[in-house]
Amino acid sequence: MSYQEKNITVSLFSHLLIGVYYLANLLPIIQSSELVAGRLYALWSIVIAVNIVVNIIASILTNILLTIVEAIRSRKYEDPQFIEDERDKLIGLKGIRSTYFTFSIGVLFSVFAFIYGQPPLMMISLIVLFSILAEIIGDVSKIYLYRRGG
Amino acid sequence: MFQRYTCIEEGVEMGKSQVKNNIRKLRFNHDEMTQEQLAKKVGVTRQTIIAMESEKYAPSLELAFRIARIFSVPLEEVFYYTPEDE
Repeated sequence: MSYQEKNITVSLFSHLLIGVYYLANLLPIIQSSELVAGRLYALWSIVIAVNIVVNIIASILTNILLTIVEAIRSRKYEDPQFIEDERDKLIGLKGIRSTYFTFSIGVLFSVFAFIYGQPPLMMISLIVLFSILAEIIGDVSKIYLYRRGG
Repeated sequence: MFQRYTCIEEGVEMGKSQVKNNIRKLRFNHDEMTQEQLAKKVGVTRQTIIAMESEKYAPSLELAFRIARIFSVPLEEVFYYTPEDE
């Protein structure tokens, strides 16, 4: 498993955790049939902020951990060479394409939900949910492409 | 009414590629050069060399030239194209 694959796996797990947290908080609000704007705004802010922060921290931690593991394995310290070559860039672009495709469908679905009588708060909740789902699908497609092409 | 666009990705296709190569043989003939050594010389990861050797990845023209240069042979001796119908 290459450095990029490990990084994507960590990113996938963090997105899965954020998705579970979001659903665990969103579903009770929907089931109570009372979409309280204050609670939803807080939930969206937390999820979006955590998504950004966790991604940065996860990337840094993965970098540090991999450097340590590599140093222990080779029994000497070398400047880590986590190069990103043309194949990594291509897989990255294909992953982004999957992310945007999923997100576009999600936005379309959310808008249709709004057109067919759902409140605007529900529409935005769905858009946030699909943004997390799109990140997960992007990560899964990247891992799949790495496995298939490597 | 609508213009049709065709998306062409620069000779890179996952799965089995139609661009075949002799990299493994050339490595062997060059003092049994390892995949890691070749990867370092051309500036890619070892995984990319593995993907190329197993013909799952067709490199860009620039990388193909760099590999040919390492082995001091013309490009056609490293890579060759086999159309699907052949």
